[in-house]
Amino acid sequence: MGKAKNGYSDLEKRDIFNNEFMVHIDALYNFAFKLTLDEDEAKDLLQDTCMKAFRFIDSFEKGTNAKAWLFRILKNNFINDYRKKSKTPGMVDYQEVETYYNSEDGESPVEITTDLRSETIKGMLGDEITNALNSMDVDFRTVIILCDLEGFKYEEMAKILDIPIGTVRSRLHRARNILKEKLATYAASMGYK
Amino acid sequence: MGVFVRWLQRTFGMAKKTCPVEQECLELLRLMLDEQATEEESKYVHEHIDKCYRCYENYDLENTIREAVKNKVKNLKVPPELVTEIKNKIDL
Repeated sequence: MGKAKNGYSDLEKRDIFNNEFMVHIDALYNFAFKLTLDEDEAKDLLQDTCMKAFRFIDSFEKGTNAKAWLFRILKNNFINDYRKKSKTPGMVDYQEVETYYNSEDGESPVEITTDLRSETIKGMLGDEITNALNSMDVDFRTVIILCDLEGFKYEEMAKILDIPIGTVRSRLHRARNILKEKLATYAASMGYK
Repeated sequence: MGVFVRWLQRTFGMAKKTCPVEQECLELLRLMLDEQATEEESKYVHEHIDKCYRCYENYDLENTIREAVKNKVKNLKVPPELVTEIKNKIDL
């Protein structure tokens, strides 16, 4: 979270919250919903995030990257308070997968699909793409959301996720392979040509 | 030039089904599409996909998936009453 270093007045705090934070409220809500996949949890997560952001506003440097700063708080909140609730025993341990993937002999465990065509993707409905994305493990889903939906650069993602840039890159690469596989499987099951 | 070569490859069945540098190229073209590749890496990808139909297909598919995620995944609007509740709690 960083040290409280700015000592803003109450007026300044309100000004920062209203003008620099609130412009990202929809993006934050979307991120919360895509992490939790539950409307009530997303609302709670957003509310908690806003409360924390306000409480620690002195550690935010006015005029800097508010969106990345807020996304980082939301992600940490999710990991600490929400993820535990929904963690299932069968979940993928991404750290384990990454260690394997990044090892010298660690070829990607997911084969690159060869029969998915761009025309097939173009014909898919939004709900079908959303379902494929939502069915991914949350850690892989997160990097796709941050990169493709929110347009964060790798450096920003590294800060939001507290991981090195190299890990962002490899996790994203693997996430894209997984998403492609899911879309291919879905397309095949629906009889898309 | 690249478009013509790809048309020739596709039309006359000359398109190779494999590429010896497919994995490396895939990683680089993903970096390029994420706007994270260096100028040199982007140049390499462009030159390669101009003559390699297999990697061009990968490029096309990767690009299409990104566009689909960006444009087709539903974006939600935060409920106004939640915004009011948050503002009230913070006393704004």
